[in-house]
Amino acid sequence: MRTFEYVRATDTQEVVRMLAEDPSASCLAGGTTQLDLMKDGVLEPPTLIDITRLPLHGIERRGESLHVGALATMEELAADSTVAERLPVVREALLLGASVQLRNMATIGGNLLQRTRCRYFRDPAVLECNKRAPGTGCAAVQGAARMHAVLGVNENCIALHASDLAVALVALDAVVHIQGLSGRRTVPLTEFYVTADESPERENVLEHAELITEVEIPLPPPSARSGYLKVRDRVSYEFALTSAAVVLVVEDGTIRQARVGLGGVGSKPWRAYEAEHVLTGAPATSATFQDASEATMRDAWTVPGTAFKVPLARRTLVRELQTVSGVTA
Amino acid sequence: MSTVESRPLVGAGVNRVDGPRKVTGTAPYPMDFSVPGQAYGALVQSTVSAGRIIRMDTEEAERSPGVISVLTHENAPQVGTGPTTVLGEAPPAPLRNDRVMHHGQHIAFVVAETPEQAAAAARLVHAEYEAAEPLLDLQDPRAQHLVDPWKMDHSRGDVSAALEAADVIVRGTYFTADNTNNPLGLFATLAAWEEDTLTVHDTSQWPSMVRTTLAMVFGIPESSVRVLVPYVGGGFGAGLRAWPHVILTAMAARTTKRPVKLVLTRPQMFTSVGHRPSGVQWLSVGASRDGGLVALDHRSLSSLSMEDNDYEPFSHGTAFAYQCPNVITRDQQAKLNIAVPTSMRAPAEAQGSFALESALDELAYTLRMDPLELRIRNHTEVDPRNGLPWSGKALLECYEVGARRFGWADRSPEPRSMRDGNWLVGYGMASAMFPYFATPCMAEATVNRDGSAFVRSAATDIGTGTYTVMAQLSAEELGLPLDKVRFDLGDSDMPDSMMAGGSGLTGALGNAVHDACRRLVGLFADLARGDADSPLLGASPEDVEVSGGRVHLAGRPDRGESYADILARHGLAQLTATGSSRPPDPAEIGMSPAGAYGAKFVEVRVDADLGIVRVARVVSAIDGGRILNEKTARSQIIGGTVGGIGMALFEDTVTDPRTGRIANGTFGDYLVAVNADIPELDVIFVGEPDRGTPTGTKGVGEVGLVGIAPAIANAVYHATGKRIRDLPITIDNLL
Ligand SMILES: Cc1cc2nc3c(=O)[nH]c(=O)nc-3n(C[C@H](O)[C@H](O)[C@H](O)COP(=O)(O)OP(=O)(O)OC[C@H]3O[C@@H](n4cnc5c(N)ncnc54)[C@H](O)[C@@H]3O)c2cc1C
Repeated sequence: MRTFEYVRATDTQEVVRMLAEDPSASCLAGGTTQLDLMKDGVLEPPTLIDITRLPLHGIERRGESLHVGALATMEELAADSTVAERLPVVREALLLGASVQLRNMATIGGNLLQRTRCRYFRDPAVLECNKRAPGTGCAAVQGAARMHAVLGVNENCIALHASDLAVALVALDAVVHIQGLSGRRTVPLTEFYVTADESPERENVLEHAELITEVEIPLPPPSARSGYLKVRDRVSYEFALTSAAVVLVVEDGTIRQARVGLGGVGSKPWRAYEAEHVLTGAPATSATFQDASEATMRDAWTVPGTAFKVPLARRTLVRELQTVSGVTA
Repeated sequence: MSTVESRPLVGAGVNRVDGPRKVTGTAPYPMDFSVPGQAYGALVQSTVSAGRIIRMDTEEAERSPGVISVLTHENAPQVGTGPTTVLGEAPPAPLRNDRVMHHGQHIAFVVAETPEQAAAAARLVHAEYEAAEPLLDLQDPRAQHLVDPWKMDHSRGDVSAALEAADVIVRGTYFTADNTNNPLGLFATLAAWEEDTLTVHDTSQWPSMVRTTLAMVFGIPESSVRVLVPYVGGGFGAGLRAWPHVILTAMAARTTKRPVKLVLTRPQMFTSVGHRPSGVQWLSVGASRDGGLVALDHRSLSSLSMEDNDYEPFSHGTAFAYQCPNVITRDQQAKLNIAVPTSMRAPAEAQGSFALESALDELAYTLRMDPLELRIRNHTEVDPRNGLPWSGKALLECYEVGARRFGWADRSPEPRSMRDGNWLVGYGMASAMFPYFATPCMAEATVNRDGSAFVRSAATDIGTGTYTVMAQLSAEELGLPLDKVRFDLGDSDMPDSMMAGGSGLTGALGNAVHDACRRLVGLFADLARGDADSPLLGASPEDVEVSGGRVHLAGRPDRGESYADILARHGLAQLTATGSSRPPDPAEIGMSPAGAYGAKFVEVRVDADLGIVRVARVVSAIDGGRILNEKTARSQIIGGTVGGIGMALFEDTVTDPRTGRIANGTFGDYLVAVNADIPELDVIFVGEPDRGTPTGTKGVGEVGLVGIAPAIANAVYHATGKRIRDLPITIDNLL
C-alpha cells in the first residue's frame, strides 16, 4: 500500500523547519488539490504536514487593505463584509468557483497554489508531461486540448492556471506574505507566478521550505467599481473557458483607473497591462473597450482546440467592461 | 384481446414504494454488499490502444502488502464466452491472449486483502508493449466497415429518381460525439463460490443474462449461478451486458477461493461499461413545394470496437417516422481501437433523430413553412414498412397540446428576430419516437393464507420505478390494497425477465404480471366454483371478479368470499401462478406495434457575443400509452430531457487522437448537465392505452431524450441563424 506519514503541525516556523529537512514533504491545507493528486498518483509525498491548525485563519481589515490569512476558506472570504462592500470582483470570483462543498474546505493559500487541471498532467500513465516529468515533452500540445492556456505557453507546455480568485487578485495588486527559514518576505502576486514557457515544472517563486501566511489585498478607492465575468459551457461547477476581472474608476465619463485580469487563458493568472494602458484616461465607451480588448491576446500561442479562446477572451473583457462601467453604447 | 379498464390505483402518482429505503440510505446497492472473508479486486488497464503485451512484470505487485493473487493472460484460466442475445454476441472473454485492442483494456486483475492494497498493487504491475499504430478516427479509410450489421437497412421506392425530381432538396452531414452513460453508482461486482455454485451481486439491468453468461463462461449449470441485483445506482444501458470485469471478478474468486469484490473507479467507467458511439450521418431530404416529403436518403457510419459488437442502427427510425414514398436507410460501423460502445439511453434513435429532425427544420426554413406544419403535413397513421395501422399513435395530439402549452404560435418565424438584451432568443421543435421493443418475459404471483400477495420476476428497477408500478398493477389485478402486495425483483432465481432496456420492461413485465395475476385469480375461481360451500359455486369464469381481497361475481361484491377463506377451507398455505408475455405479432393483431411518441418544444437563449447557450424552457408532450404511475413516468421524461440537454450541449467523451486514451474520464472534466443548467421542464401525457397489448403501456424510458438535441439545435438556428450539425453545440461553434 502507498503509505505516507501524516503530521499535524501547530507552529508555522516548525513547519518551515520540517520542510527544510525533508525535501519531499508536502503541506495539506483544505486538501482539495493535494489529496486528488495523491489519489491519482501524481504526487506521492512520503510525509504530509497538515497545516490547518496553524494560526493563519483570520481576515482583518487594516486601514485600506485587507489581510487574509492563508488558511481562511473561500467561503469565509466571500462572506466577509469588506469584500462584499469594496471587493465585488473577489466575491464574484470566489462564488463562481468550484462548489459550496469545495469552497468550505478550500483555503486561500491553497487556491493560489492549486495545480493545473490538464488531464495529461493529472494522469501518470501519460508519459509526456514536462510539468510532471521535466524533459519528457507535452502530450497536450498534440492531444485533445481545450481547457488549456494560450498565453505564457509554448510547445513545451500549455497548462492553464485555473484559479478564478487569483485572476481577481492580480488585478488588485495583491501581495503574498511568505515565511521561510530565514524570516518573512512579501511578493506582489503579479511577480509570484512563473509562466509555462519559462519553466513548465516550476509554477511560482515559492521555495520548498516556505509557507504562504497571508494575502494582502489593497482596497481600490471607494469610488471604484469591479466585477468578475466567467464564461463556461455549463452554468456552474466548471472552470473558466475565459474570464475577466475588471476594476474601474470612472469620473465624468473618463476612465481614471483601470485594472484588468484575464482568466482561462494564461499559464499564470494574467494581468492585462496593455488593456489598462488603452483604458486609462480614455472615455468610457464601447469603442474604448473594444480597443482595449484588441490590445490583449496579441501574444497568444494556440493549438486548434484553443484558438477560440482568443476572440472569446476579448469579447469577455468587452462585456465585463460594459457591465462594470454601466456603459453599453 | 381487450384493454384492462383503468382503476384508480393504476395511473395515480403513487410514491415510490422503495422511496423510504432510498432516502434513508438503507437500500443496498451493489457496492454495499459484503460477505465474510471477502478479498478485493483491482483492475490493471492497458496504456496503449493497439499492439501486444511482450512482457508482464507482476513480481513487485505480488510482493506488495496484502496481495493474494495477480491474474494476467499468462496465468488466467481460459474460459468460455457468454450467449448471443438480442443485443448481439457476448463481449469477448478477458485475459485470453497478449493482444491489446483498446486503451483501458483489462490486462491484469489484482486481488488483495483490502481495496487500498489492491489498488496500490495494481499500480505496480508493469506491462511492456509492442505497440502498433491504432485506428482511432471514425473516418480513417483503413478502418474495416461492417455493412448493414443488423440487417435492418431499408429501401422502398426509387430515391435517386425522386431526389432528382424533387422541388427542394436539403442535404447535410451530421456528427454526434461519443457520450458516456455515467450512472452515478460505480459498477460493482461481488462474487462468491461455494464448491461449484456461484453467487454474484452485480450492477446489472439484466440478471438472468448475467446468470446465463457466467454459467457458460465457467461451464457450470445455470442452476448453480445466482445473480442478485435488488438495487442499481443507474445504468442508462451500461448494465445491459456481462462485462469482462464481471467475469474477471468471478474468475479471481474461483482461483483464490475467496469471495472477491470489485468496484470500478470513475475513470474505469469510461472504458469498461460501454458508451454511446460517435457517428457521422449523411442525409438528403427531397420535398415538393407544399412540403410533402418525396425522398429520404439516410446513411450512417458509427464507431465500433475491434472485437465486440453494439446495436446502433442510427438511420433505422427514418424508415417509418414519416409518410414518404421513397426511402433508403443504410448503416455501417467502423472498427476502431476503442473501448466497446453499448446502448446508452435512446440508442440509435438519439443520434438518428438528431440528423432527421435537424434536416426537416432546415427544409421548413427553405420552404418558408412552419416546422410544426411540415411535420403534421407528413404524419403517417400507418407503418410505411408494412402498411399496417399503428397500434397507437397520438403524435398529432402531442403536436397540438405541446404547441399550445409552449406558445409556439407566438414565435416570429425569421431567424435572429427575437432578442432580450444580450440574449438571442430562439424556439425550436422536433418530433420524437422510440420504436416498440420487447422480448418474452415471465412473472409469478402468489396469494398467501392471510390474503396478502407476493409477485416477482427477475427484473431490475434501475431507478425507473419498476418496484412501484408493478406493485400497483399487481394490486389492481388481484383486487388488493397496495400495502398488501409486495413486488420483488433483482434475483436471477426468480422467473425469467427481459432486460430493463429498450423501453421494453414495463410493457413486457406488465403483461406478464397481468397474465400471472389473471391465472392466479382463475385458480381461486376454479376452487370456489367447484366448492359446494362457496357462494361462487357454479359461477362461470368470465363472471368472476376480484376487489377488496375478495373473489366475487362481477358487479356483486357481496356474492363471493375472500382469498383467505378459500385457502383456509382447502387447507392451502398459498396459491401461485406463473404468467408470461411475448411481443405481439403484427399479423395476429393486424397492427404494427407502436412505441412511444412525443413532440418537444424548446426555447434557448444564446449570448450574441459570447456564444453561451442556455435552455430556457422545454415542453414535452408525450404519448406513452397507458401511464401506470403519473409521477414515475413524469420522472422518466424529465430524466430523459436532462440527458438530451447533456447530449446537445455538454457531453463529449474525448479520445486523445494519438494514443486512444480517454482524455476527460472524470466528473470534473466530462460535463453532464448540473441543476443550474436545467430549467422548469413541462411534461404532458396525451393519448390512449395502446391497443397492441393487454396492459396498453408504451415504454417511456427513452422517448424523453429523443428529439431534445435537434429541438435545441433548431432553436439555436432560430436564435442565431447558424445551423449547427455537430454535437455537442458549444461556445466554440457559436463565436
Ligand atoms: C472539482 C473541483 C472544481 C474546482 N473548481 C474551481 C473553480 O471553478 N475555480 C477555482 O478557482 N478553483 C476551483 N477548484 C480548485 C480549488 O479552489 C482548489 O483546489 C483549492 O482552492 C485549493 O485549496 P486547498 O486548501 O484545498 O489546498 P490543498 O489542496 O490543501 O493544497 C494545494 C497546494 O498548495 C499547498 N499549500 C496549501 N496551503 C499552503 C500554504 N499556506 N503555504 C504553502 N503551501 C500551501 C499544498 O501543499 C498543495 O501543494 C476546484 C477544485 C475541484 C476539486
